[in-house]
Amino acid sequence: MKQTLLSVEKLGKSYKDKQIVKNISFSVKRGMVTAILGPNGAGKSTTIRSMMGIMQPDEGSIQYQGYPEHGVPHEKVGYLPEERGLYKNVKIMDIILYFADLKDYPKKKAKARALDYLKKFGLEGRDKVSVEELSKGMAQKAQFIASIIHEPELLILDEPFSGLDPVSQDVFKQEIRQLADNGTAILISSHQMNLIEEIADDLLLIHKGKTVIKGSMEEVKEQYSNYKCTIIGENEASLFTGLPFVQNVERDGSKTVLYLDRDVHIPTWISHIPNESAIQEMTIDRTSLHEIFVGVATEKNLKKSGGM
Amino acid sequence: MRNTWKVAKWEYKRNATNKSFIISTLLTPVIFLLFAFLPSMFSGSESSNDPEAMKVYIQDEVGLASRVEAFVNNKESFNWELEFVEENKESVLSSVPEEENQAFVSLTEDTIQNGVVEVETSEEVTDSFFAQLQLLRQPIQDYQFKQLGLTEYQLQQITAGVSFETSEAAAASSGVGGADQSGAVKGELIVPGIFALIVLIAIVLTGMMIFQSASQEKKEKVSEIVLSSMKPNELMQGKIIGYFGLGISQVTIWLGFGIPLAAWRMEDVPILQYLFVPELLIMVFIAILGYLLFAALFVGFGATVEDISSSSNFQGFIMMLPFLPFVFIGPILNNPSGLAATIGSFIPFTSPAVLIMRMAMLEDWPWLEIGFALVVLMISVWLMIKLAGKIFEVGILLYGKNATPKEIWKWVRA
Repeated sequence: MKQTLLSVEKLGKSYKDKQIVKNISFSVKRGMVTAILGPNGAGKSTTIRSMMGIMQPDEGSIQYQGYPEHGVPHEKVGYLPEERGLYKNVKIMDIILYFADLKDYPKKKAKARALDYLKKFGLEGRDKVSVEELSKGMAQKAQFIASIIHEPELLILDEPFSGLDPVSQDVFKQEIRQLADNGTAILISSHQMNLIEEIADDLLLIHKGKTVIKGSMEEVKEQYSNYKCTIIGENEASLFTGLPFVQNVERDGSKTVLYLDRDVHIPTWISHIPNESAIQEMTIDRTSLHEIFVGVATEKNLKKSGGM
Repeated sequence: MRNTWKVAKWEYKRNATNKSFIISTLLTPVIFLLFAFLPSMFSGSESSNDPEAMKVYIQDEVGLASRVEAFVNNKESFNWELEFVEENKESVLSSVPEEENQAFVSLTEDTIQNGVVEVETSEEVTDSFFAQLQLLRQPIQDYQFKQLGLTEYQLQQITAGVSFETSEAAAASSGVGGADQSGAVKGELIVPGIFALIVLIAIVLTGMMIFQSASQEKKEKVSEIVLSSMKPNELMQGKIIGYFGLGISQVTIWLGFGIPLAAWRMEDVPILQYLFVPELLIMVFIAILGYLLFAALFVGFGATVEDISSSSNFQGFIMMLPFLPFVFIGPILNNPSGLAATIGSFIPFTSPAVLIMRMAMLEDWPWLEIGFALVVLMISVWLMIKLAGKIFEVGILLYGKNATPKEIWKWVRA
């Protein structure tokens, strides 16, 4: 069992009469990536800002291991906010060193680390380049480096992949995974479900400020992500509704999706497909995190043991 | 506090190494010097050595030659080439109108009798010639008195003239301080006053950069990263201190040029002696209070503006506040103890400049009034910093729009 570094209990925050976040609890463990997901306006950034002390939560507690006070010790936490930028007319190295200094990290070490990371992210030799000369993607890389320059124990990344091209997304993904493998506790919020699916260990899905789904990636998949069979071909929905283990049939043009029971045995089930079905393509897979997310966002009923 | 210093250091370094800042710091005194000296270079003022010499012929029939010559040679600013003529007056007179910068002065018995000196000049004469000519009155008058047979003592009495010494009745009866002050030359405090005003103007102008800095921080969305390491108040104070350092550096450079230059140009005023007096400390203290007031105002309201070009008149009005004291310049010069001056001393946005101006002009400082004004100013500074802190805290994280006065009011009350 990995060690819990940060626990958030019953966090709540309101603006005027509107409750933005209500009764949110979760923990972030060393060496693990915890993803906080939810549609726009779900309360992700509010939760993160409350943890960072940028906002004052109305209720709940935030406990950092070995830190007697409420909240997090700033020098041990790296933070990449959703709304981020860099001073424009400053050299990359200067700004990274400034952020390291704010975290009380030794300058010499910071410089060596910055050079390493710039090289890793393909920005070698650009340490003296002014920020305004960088492309958006390059600036994002510089921001990322600035957030991890002081070897944080806890790294909080709010939408780290937004605005990145697929190649850079892969670079970030690998780096995040590697940091976790080296023992950093990571809390990440993102809309890119495919990327989250690949790197997250734990999940917290919130909607309208409340926890909807919580657990490890396996548990969530186990609970919510049943098999589904997608058939491309001109078929009537009624052709499949009576089949064993089929919970729900959705038809959209020539595409028919059959949501299956949790305890279905796929090799046996395949033989039940009617002979008269028109099949141009057929795939059997699990409902993805993306579909779970869309289900939550569109407020379709989630069934733990069924389709969406 | 450590974080405050880190921010201050960063803001200082970031701006001090900025090319436009360096250029403006160095260029300002150059432009100033240019404006100060360009006109005199073209016109050739009285005080500068006139490059053109004046040829002055003097017809001396009464034996004043030696006196006039001694007098002219004594005056450095006189660039006269003297020639005494006795016989060939006609030929000299005929040549004068044709030449440039020539004059013919005739000193005859009639001159001494009537007191009228005939002078004929060429069409062009040097700018300062007529002013210099007036000064010749002295040797001529001396001669006249001598002719009248006055004694040396009588001469002194006549030439001393009559002067009026005035003093206010109230000041005389005010007691101990008054007697000591009576010897002080009026205008002595103008030197530290001007010094403090320059400091005030320079640091308040740099303070206006804070507005931009806060607004930029918000626009470029750096604040949230910075605020994950410190409290908003630390960031705000760091900015205020950092820009204060910048302003002081700038004014040090300017005065580093300015004071030696002023000392050199105005040889007869012992500038350094006038400058380093205890009063200077109070004046500079007032200037610093003025800076703090405006810096807090700007940092607070800068945090409410993301796009300066689309900001409302409200924020524009705030930027105008430092220029408010200009309204009081006229009334203060007219009467530094008048009603307008007193009112200006108690309005926080005008009081730093108004107080310094008044202190520079008044021989006897109205200590009670100054004390009250200082208390009002210090309380205002404290309130403004509190207020700015509240506005800054919310404003800096409000992305995507400029705050309205209504919103700002709500934050202040929160």
